[in-house]
Amino acid sequence: MAELRTEEFTVNMGPHHPSTHGVCRLILTLSGEKVIKIVPVIGYLHRALEKICENRTYAQCIPVMDRFEYVTAMSCEYLFSNAAEKLAEIEVPERAEYLRVIMLELNRIASHLIFYGVTAMDIGALTPFLYGLREREGIIDLFEMTCGQRLTYNYIRIGGVSKDIPPQFEPKCRETIKTIREKLNDYEGLLNENPIWLVRNKGIGVLPADLGIAYGVSGPVLRASGVKYDIRKDDPYSIYDRFDFEIPTRENGDCYDRYLLRLDEIKQSLNIVEQALDALPEGDIKAKVSPNFKPPAGEVYARVENSRGELGVYIQSDGGKKPLRVKMRGGSFNQLQVLPEIGTDCLVADLVAIFASLDIILPEVDR
Amino acid sequence: MKLLKDIKNLLIGMRITGKHLGRHAITIQYPEERWEMPERSRGIVVLLSDKETGDLNCTGCLLCMKACPSAAIFIDAPRDPETKKRKLLTFTVDNALCCFCGLCEEACNFSAIKMATMYEFSEPEKEGFLWDMKKLQEVGLDVDYIDTRKKKPAKKVPKPATDSGTATDKIVPDTLDSDAKQTPPAPEPDKPKEDGE
Repeated sequence: MAELRTEEFTVNMGPHHPSTHGVCRLILTLSGEKVIKIVPVIGYLHRALEKICENRTYAQCIPVMDRFEYVTAMSCEYLFSNAAEKLAEIEVPERAEYLRVIMLELNRIASHLIFYGVTAMDIGALTPFLYGLREREGIIDLFEMTCGQRLTYNYIRIGGVSKDIPPQFEPKCRETIKTIREKLNDYEGLLNENPIWLVRNKGIGVLPADLGIAYGVSGPVLRASGVKYDIRKDDPYSIYDRFDFEIPTRENGDCYDRYLLRLDEIKQSLNIVEQALDALPEGDIKAKVSPNFKPPAGEVYARVENSRGELGVYIQSDGGKKPLRVKMRGGSFNQLQVLPEIGTDCLVADLVAIFASLDIILPEVDR
Repeated sequence: MKLLKDIKNLLIGMRITGKHLGRHAITIQYPEERWEMPERSRGIVVLLSDKETGDLNCTGCLLCMKACPSAAIFIDAPRDPETKKRKLLTFTVDNALCCFCGLCEEACNFSAIKMATMYEFSEPEKEGFLWDMKKLQEVGLDVDYIDTRKKKPAKKVPKPATDSGTATDKIVPDTLDSDAKQTPPAPEPDKPKEDGE
């Protein structure tokens, strides 16, 4: 009788797998249902954004930045503007800073709502997807009312913001905040204690804090492992030091904690938006910046806390109209690197849950 | 005991879903129903015309073309060798290239270009996305806008430079025309600040 034996099997997950959030290809070596090796293949979304920026003036780079990380495009715009302002030592008006914080935090909430919906959908619960996107719609409407676009805003400019908020913005924004606060109870009721959700998430994809730090992981993924590190507190940019908010952390570092942490962050961001709306001063919204903006020669690194970790840009200027060199740093890249470490020796279905909980967005990885 | 707890938690989820049973849909049936676009919504690029005369507001200053990050605007407006004024010949926008950032609208000093709220412009052929001056004007005719132009630009002709050596060189940085060297022209009143490159 022939001897029965098993073989390892190599299979492609992606590039168009629906749970890879874009086009990421994972080459999996499987032994039965178990994943024993993961090799991520990136670059399918490479658009040479850094090079494109080097061929454009500083003002023209901002629409390009929208495409760098389109789920939280505001923080990319802010990042680039902030770097250029640091280079040229431009003072930003008070009102503009407040408006920027409102937009940044609203965008963080929108991003986490997408995470909530999409992660649940990847794991097999379709209802939260519809709920998450419905509340996100309220925020997107606020953006559209203010700057005219729903995804690629081009709102934050070097020296301020492009337009002041319309008069109906504030009541609508407060209403949206109230709605999201109410609906967060629904969100938690749907998933937090759901037995299927717990089995699929608890204890899956545990990321130890030291491994996360070794790989340069930042943002919610690192905070879910117990590291209290948030650039908004540790290296305050804009006017974040004026607001009263907490940095939530969790201990276990598994998929479930990463999910809970993002819900906590939504609550904190809602608080920040409310405080900013209360304290919103009158005044200019943009500093005087020449259309032929030419910062002095030099180099600068700016960083912000994005919904996916530390987002950084390094700009080298030779004093010309266009940046000499632009280098971006996105949090997703480091989180994708850590996936083979925490994703091996689990089932394929768990890999989907881990990938979703890391909240990777591929344009940020591929640039 | 765990089973009972699980069933209870499942029922909580079902209750939340059940709350939405009797409620109306929040989506709209798109081609029949339409979403009202906000005033600032950035859709297709149009050219605006003067409300009284019906002529285009555009002076052919090329500022929007220079501001465009994706090079979607093509303008041909050569300077008249005698009057030194630009004459607008063609103004083409390639909507396939446009990234809808709105920088052209901000760059314009003459209320000549605007991103209208219109968003339906799909075409079966790629060539159909190239909109020429006539079509851009046609679409922009019923677009409402605030005219921010100065009323009578002719009054604001700057004084002719008294010390005609260095001053005129500064005002006219790029004298491409050969005959401009002999008689440096006074800058046109509606000529915006262009970069000196």
